[in-house]
Formats: sequence, C-alpha cells, structure tokens
Amino acid sequence: MAANFTLDSNPDSYFSLDDILASQEKVPCTFNTQVSNMGYMDQSTTDTNIVSGTKLELPFWLAKSLDRGSRSIINIDTPKNYKEVYRQIFTADPNVVDLHKLGPYFYLFGGKLISLHLPDNDDIASVLLKTFQGRFRRIMDGSQNTLNVDLTSQVSLLDEQERLLFSAGQQGLHDFQKWETRESEKLSTSTMVANHRKRKRFVLSSKSS
Amino acid sequence: MLAEKALDLIRELKRTSGGTLPPFNEDKIRQVLEEVQTLFEQNRDTAKYAAEGQHDVLAAIQLRHAGIQRNKRCLLAYLYNRLENIRRMRWEFGSVLPADVKYNMCEHEVQWFNQYNRLLANYMRSIGESGGLDLTQDMKPPKSLYVLVRCLMDHGEFETQDGTVILLKKNSQHYLMRSECEHLIRQGVLEHIVQ
Amino acid sequence: MSTEDVGDDLLETVDDEEEEEAMTAPEVLHKLEEAWLNEKFSPDLLPVKSNLVECMLDQIVAMENNISTLKKGDFRISVHRMEIDRIRYVISSYLRHRLAKIESLTTHVLQEEEKRRDSENVLMSPAELEFAKGYCNSVMTHLTNTALDHMPLKAATPNAKEIAVLPNLDSYVFLKVNENTENVLVEEETVDAREEIMDFEKGDQHIMRYKPIASLVESGGVSLI
Repeated sequence: MAANFTLDSNPDSYFSLDDILASQEKVPCTFNTQVSNMGYMDQSTTDTNIVSGTKLELPFWLAKSLDRGSRSIINIDTPKNYKEVYRQIFTADPNVVDLHKLGPYFYLFGGKLISLHLPDNDDIASVLLKTFQGRFRRIMDGSQNTLNVDLTSQVSLLDEQERLLFSAGQQGLHDFQKWETRESEKLSTSTMVANHRKRKRFVLSSKSS
Repeated sequence: MLAEKALDLIRELKRTSGGTLPPFNEDKIRQVLEEVQTLFEQNRDTAKYAAEGQHDVLAAIQLRHAGIQRNKRCLLAYLYNRLENIRRMRWEFGSVLPADVKYNMCEHEVQWFNQYNRLLANYMRSIGESGGLDLTQDMKPPKSLYVLVRCLMDHGEFETQDGTVILLKKNSQHYLMRSECEHLIRQGVLEHIVQ
Repeated sequence: MSTEDVGDDLLETVDDEEEEEAMTAPEVLHKLEEAWLNEKFSPDLLPVKSNLVECMLDQIVAMENNISTLKKGDFRISVHRMEIDRIRYVISSYLRHRLAKIESLTTHVLQEEEKRRDSENVLMSPAELEFAKGYCNSVMTHLTNTALDHMPLKAATPNAKEIAVLPNLDSYVFLKVNENTENVLVEEETVDAREEIMDFEKGDQHIMRYKPIASLVESGGVSLI
C-alpha cells in the first residue's frame, strides 16, 4: 500500500522472512532413538539410519518440532554462543562483540531458544536483555549524531534487529534535516520509479560500452 | 538436510532490495514441490510400520512431517512476500507496470496484479457519494496550491483544469496546480522545484 | 453571492444523523484529524469513522460549489481551494493508513469484524469490507494456484490460524490523556514481571505498550500522538 508506510506486524508472523531465517540457526541435538532411513541427514556417516546417540546440529525449526518433553526423540543442548562462556563475554563488554558474526539473528534466535525450556533458560533470557541494554546507547548515539559519515565499521558489528533500529534512527535524523531545509515539501518521484530508471540507465550504458 | 532448497528462495528475496522483483524462480519452486511429494510418499508408505509400533519409523515420520511443513512455509512466504512487493509497485508505478518488471512475474502474479488493480479501483470509486476519491494522490500534506515544475522529458500536450492546453517539453518550466500534476511528478515526468 | 454566504457555508452546521448532537464543520474536521492520528499510530485497525469522512467529503462538494459561483480572480478562490486540498489530504491519508492495515492484517481484521457483526461499532465501512474480502480471496487463490494445488492434499491444507498475520500489540505508542481515567492496568513485561496500576490525568502524556490502552483509544479516553 501507501508508499513509505512500514507496519510493524508481528515479528514472528508465518510469512516473515527474518523469522524464517532466524529459525534456521542451528541447535546441538542428540538422538535418543534410532531413526530409520534418515541417515542422509548425517554427512559424517554412510549409514542408512540415524543411530541412537548420534549428535547432530539441527536447525531450530526441526528441533522445536521434535521437542515433545520427556517423549522427545532428541535431547537439545544450549548452542555454544549462548553458553556460560559466551554469556560472560557479552556481559563483560557488550559493545565490542560482533553480534553479526555470532548472529546475525542474535536476539530473535535467542528469543526462540527460550521456548525450548533449556536448563539455563533464565540465564539466556537475562543475557539477551543485558547485552541489548549495554549496546543500546551506542547504537542510538551512532545513529542520531552522525550525518554523511561512514558508519560501516559500527554497523557491521550489529545484529539484524539492531541494524533495523539503527537505520530507523538514521531515517529520523535525515527526515528532520529535510524538514529543516524545507526539502520534505518537495514532491518527488516515487523511489521505485527512480531506482528502476537508474537500473535501466546502467543496463543501457553497460551495453553501449 | 531437509528443506534447504526452500530456504534458498527466502534468501533470494532477502537479498533483493526495495523496488526490485527478482525473476520468479519456477525451477526452484518445482524442486521444493518435488521434495514435498517425496517426503509425503515416504511417510505414506511407512505409516503402517509405525502403526505396528516401530519407533524408529515413527521417529522418521516426525522428521519428514516437519520437513513438509517447513517447505510449505518457505514456499508460501516466498509467494506472499512477492505479492506484497507487487502491491507496493501498484502505488509507486501506477496501474501499468514497466515491461521489464512484468517480465519477472509469473502468469498468476500478472493475474493477481490485475485483480488488485480492479479491487483498488472499485474501492476508491465507492468512497463518498460523488464519484470517489483517488487515494494514490495527495501523498504529502499540501503546502501550496501551485507548484513550479520542470519537465524531465518530452511528454506532449497537457490540458489543465481550467482548459488551457500547454506543451510539456523537456526542460520547459511551468506553474501548475499541485493537485493536477502530482501524478506526473511521482512518475518522474516532472520535477518539483522548491524555491 | 456575498462574502457572508461563503463564510456561513464553510462553517455550516452539520447534522449527524445517528447521533443527536449537531457538530459544526470545524468540529467534524477536528474529530477526523484525531481519528487520523490514532489510525496512523495504532498497530491495529480501529473502528471506521464513516460519518466523519462522509461529512467532510460533502463539505468539499459544498465548498467547490461555492467556488464556482465566485468570479474568476477572486482571492477567496485560492483560500478555499487550499482548504479543500488540506481536507482531502487528511481524508486520503486516513483511508490509506486503514487500507494498508486491511491489506497486511487481512484475515485478522475480517475475523475481528465477524466478532463485532451484531454491535454498532463496526470495524470497516461496507466498501472496506468488500475490499478486504476480495483481497483475502485473491491472495488465497494465488497461494493455492501456485503452490498448494501442487502438493499432496493432506500436506497442503493451510492452517488458517497459523498463517494469519497479527498486529504487534506489544509495540509502544505515545499517547495523550483526554479524560481522567483511574486504575489503568499496565503490565510490566520485565524479567521480574509484576502488575502495575496507574491513574491517567487529563493532559498527561505517556509512552507505553499499545495493548493495555487499546480500549481507551477506541473509547476516546486517550489519543495517540
């Protein structure tokens, strides 16, 4: 619909691309039963079956769907990045951590982990909150106080959701600037039309050269 | 691993930035549908062993079932997000899409676009009692009645509200009523000059 | 036509058929502007203010008729035209925000409308409802034709509840209090969860989660800003 309207529908909607990507993050699992004919999922062996005791990293969506409490065919362990060692690193100085490398859906995936009721659930929840609290001020400062400065190095360390927040801040700053210089009054070509034309020009010029 | 190809579709959409619609990936969709079919048949063929109490078969069925659901989610999300993109294009480009954009749409998507066009037109016509309201106009709060514009391309003759006919020639400048030239500005024919 | 006539028509008293009280055009416009901002900032679709929209659209027609009686070059023409443009912008923007929500939250708004069917306070205008149904249909048909029809029947049945896109009622909004309201329950969703009760005083401004104050937005007790 109406251009430049961004609706914040539920982040875990069925159709959300980010939610689908976040639920692809891996969780360490141990099979406590044999699974017939699914051996191809374990690339370290040529067995036809998955044998009981096999350790495999499964995507979250699969682990979650197999998670049926005590009747589960798998046991789920906390992923490395959310374990005690990493939790200490995050709490010590959250600002230096490269959450994009460790994520890139550090918070979204973290929130999903909570739904698995792992033994260290409370600690995971609290490290998510503390990490964000520790990093929030820098994200806000960075996105609010700099115009036309190269921020790539700061942004590269941010997780996907932090990036959204960062660009929302930047957008606000830009809009304010435009308002101050009366540029927001200017009726402009719609972005899609402008981009489309740019691409076309690019195609044309690369053809002629 | 299960449902890897379906995830490729999602990654493909995530990579493309606003305003672009990647080519409809018919090939990948067919592969995803084939995987669903295979998983489904395997489950159907082994169901009786599971019913007889073979736990290893039951476990396999659980895995494959999850795989089917995941494939379905990725596939529907791919299609749904493309529709959202196409819908946005109706507001940006207008009711006629550029040929190269249309080229990347599948047959059903073109049909959907036409249907959306109709729904929107019907809705806008039914607003109020005097012929409707064009919601694709008045996108910004009005600041003045007239605006100074420059033609970015030759557009031919244009009849203003009071019946005067003017020639929109490249680089010519005109003083027009905002409400009658907003569309041409959004389509990139005219450029609004703020003094 | 004299100056007074035009002025009078601008401020013409409008009878609201359903409510007994009569409102002047500027009052209606003010109400519409409030509804517009509420719609703009609320994550969920609010009950439509058809009366206000129709009333202002009639007002535009009346003003245009007045203009046509004025001589060309009369300075009042541009003043009225400007006013018409402003009103039309508010109406359009209001309806656009609503349409955007109807499109993104289609199944959700149709379900909510179903729940309200017997109440006076409907969510959508008849035209919006028709659009919502048509839109919902077109999307489901597309998903069915391109994907679901090519899957085994048992795998293909979509779970309507699962695929419905819901509004994010946990998002935060800025609000201004219009009427004193006591004992508003505001849940605090922090690690050490606790309930909190607040008193709203007229003129107060707050930032908080949408969900606990949703009913106050609908009743007019608070306005989103």
